[in-house]
Amino acid sequence: MAQDTVFTPDVRFVRELKKAGGDTLKKCYQCATCSVVCPLSPDDKPFPRKEMLMAQWGLKDELIKSSDIWLCHNCNDCSKYCPRGAKPGDVLAILRKSVIQENAFPRFMGKLVGDPNNIWQALAIPVVLFLVILGATGHLHIPEGEVVFSKFFPVEFIDGVFVPLSGLAVLMFAISISRFWKNMTAGSSMKPKAEFMPSLVETLKEIMTHAKFKKCDENKDRSVAHVLVFYGFIGLAITTGWAVFNLYILQWELPYAVDEHALSIFGGSAAAAWAYKIIFKLFANASALMLLAGGFLVIKNRLKERAVETTTSSFDWLFASIVLLVGVTGFLAQVMRVTGFPAVLAYATYFIHLVLVFYIIIYVPYSKLAHFVYRTAAITWTKMLKRDVEM
Amino acid sequence: MSVETILVVGGGISGITTAVEAAEVGYNTVLVEKSPYLGGRVAQLSKYFPKLCPPYCGLEMNFRRIKPNPKITVYTTTEVESVSGQEGNYSVRLKINPRYVNEKCTSCNACAEACPSERPNEFNFGMDKTKAAYLPHVMSYPMRYVIDRNACKDKSCDKCVKACIYNAIDLNMKPQTVDIKVGSIVYATGWNPYDATKMDNLGYGRIKNVITNMMLERLASPNGPTGGKLLRPSDKKEVKKVVFVQCAGSRDENHLNYCSAICCMASLKHATYFRERIADSKVLIAYIDLRAPGKYEEFLVKVQSDPNVTMVKGKVARIEEDPATGDVILEFEDIEGGGKRHERADMAVLATGMEPSVKVDSLLSFEENGFIIGGKAAGICSTGVAKRPSDVTTSIQDATGAALKSIQSLVRS
Repeated sequence: MAQDTVFTPDVRFVRELKKAGGDTLKKCYQCATCSVVCPLSPDDKPFPRKEMLMAQWGLKDELIKSSDIWLCHNCNDCSKYCPRGAKPGDVLAILRKSVIQENAFPRFMGKLVGDPNNIWQALAIPVVLFLVILGATGHLHIPEGEVVFSKFFPVEFIDGVFVPLSGLAVLMFAISISRFWKNMTAGSSMKPKAEFMPSLVETLKEIMTHAKFKKCDENKDRSVAHVLVFYGFIGLAITTGWAVFNLYILQWELPYAVDEHALSIFGGSAAAAWAYKIIFKLFANASALMLLAGGFLVIKNRLKERAVETTTSSFDWLFASIVLLVGVTGFLAQVMRVTGFPAVLAYATYFIHLVLVFYIIIYVPYSKLAHFVYRTAAITWTKMLKRDVEM
Repeated sequence: MSVETILVVGGGISGITTAVEAAEVGYNTVLVEKSPYLGGRVAQLSKYFPKLCPPYCGLEMNFRRIKPNPKITVYTTTEVESVSGQEGNYSVRLKINPRYVNEKCTSCNACAEACPSERPNEFNFGMDKTKAAYLPHVMSYPMRYVIDRNACKDKSCDKCVKACIYNAIDLNMKPQTVDIKVGSIVYATGWNPYDATKMDNLGYGRIKNVITNMMLERLASPNGPTGGKLLRPSDKKEVKKVVFVQCAGSRDENHLNYCSAICCMASLKHATYFRERIADSKVLIAYIDLRAPGKYEEFLVKVQSDPNVTMVKGKVARIEEDPATGDVILEFEDIEGGGKRHERADMAVLATGMEPSVKVDSLLSFEENGFIIGGKAAGICSTGVAKRPSDVTTSIQDATGAALKSIQSLVRS
């Protein structure tokens, strides 16, 4: 029976957490109010009380393996009822950031994107890359005449950058996640009771409906904001795929003039061509508006909550701001194009938009956005263990 | 030349102690109490530490010291209206609220029998009612009835006056003011139980069978609403299983940001109420930390050794009611390895903390939690729970010290 458990506290890890925004974690006195008021915490080995203790003790190795920190949706019911102001909601958010950084491959990318102090370096990469491409191909000037973005930054160049780099990002992400999955499943003392696929399907269903998010008592508004950003992103991803289809399959180029080529695609019907074009534009704009509204709400909610029970970490702030800026610049660029704004402004806005899109897509394994994969993996594992709360 | 009189504000165990100790070494003391009786919170207890005797034992000894001592003047139903001056020479105006019953009262109860109106009995935390003409409690000092004019539904009713054969009732009594000179002042204004309805997750006020620790003292008292039987409020069923919710509001920055010092020992004592009276009763105490300082540890060990008493580390953070049975379901995490528990019980007792009764006064300085440090000027000090959360023993020791301190003020000026 006598069995020694040796813990190795990592004091530096504790300091890092505190510096990143978890400065309240030492206030926790382990009363477990948080574990009870959390609507997402299971009865068996509930969180976040135990994570707070592990964080205080600097048990980095344990926390890196944790699936529970990903079950948390940051509703902050825990922080509201916390008698010590230890803000478990914030501490768990910082822990998730640390896990993203720890599993980052290559390591330096985790540091570059994970530490908000490095934001200028992170943005400099796409800026320099785009300037070099434009310069080398003789496009580094404001094109004459009507604003057409592809005159300034030809679509082939964009695809030439984004297609291979996003492929690389996916590969890097796959390495990070498989590392995370291995640690998480090996570190668990419980044995799975359910298969992977059904658990994954159930998890995805839950994510699509935001069932977990809606269980939050405090901050119900956050699930609305998140739904908008979530479906805004999905809509824009579909838009991108659709545009690729238009360009490479239909060979119909932006800005989708209803010309002879277009008529030949639609069997000579101008009405069909127009309808197709309008549906496409409506879909794209609706998605962009959702992202814009969601991004705006995310920031508004966080500002509102800030005084009460949460101090959003700079890591989260950064990403929320970038999401909002992507929406704003994308939308502005379109408005400027259609309303005949000075060309230099329209092209500059478009350039900024591309830089931010680069940040979101290419840095996905290292930014806050990475949570959608980590969380999906962790919830799936929890469902396999059959310890997830009933929805 | 200083005025040789000490004013003691508050007639609980601390105020009584200061007044008696100072008077017994020869100083005049004026003891002022807002309610119609002396004894304060101690009078409401069923048993108290250290010897677990009923409070009347200790209070009666003190009343016996007050009564024959010409140096002590007691004012009940009285408040301090204003204070001015300096150490050695304070002018104090007292406002005596009408009791409507004079010193001729023999406590024969004829007025209460004749009285047609009722009022919630605040001495029993509203768990029962008294007539509008009532005796605050069986050992009231002064032993005299009171009439609650707010509870007289028919203001023209004079049934009590007619019933009193001693002419002790005067419904036309008016508030009076009395001006006195004192050399020093001791604030022994005590505490109120923290308002448990503020903890929305614990259900007090919404769920009938969630009560507070002070309410339990009344339930356990022979002169309480149930005659000392431990029956739960919803259906008067005997309580076979009870859960104590420690730190209900205390050590919580959203409520009382300090340890109320007495609740752990109070709940341990309450556990014995159940265990001594109901043979097969089960008690669970859910705590964050158990604080049993000094000699109290022996008591903790004794209660712990009872197999029917369980202590679990983990704070109760949610209480729900089972509407079918009236049972309470308490949720907490058993931190030492049990996961989240949903414990069903007949009744839950919230170990609510102590909140200082006086929170604002331009004469006084307060520490961060609202307890009185003392006067802004010399010659004013605080004692008992008005000064810091403490048990009866500590309060009495402190009050004796306050007597000396107030005497020093007189001698100094």
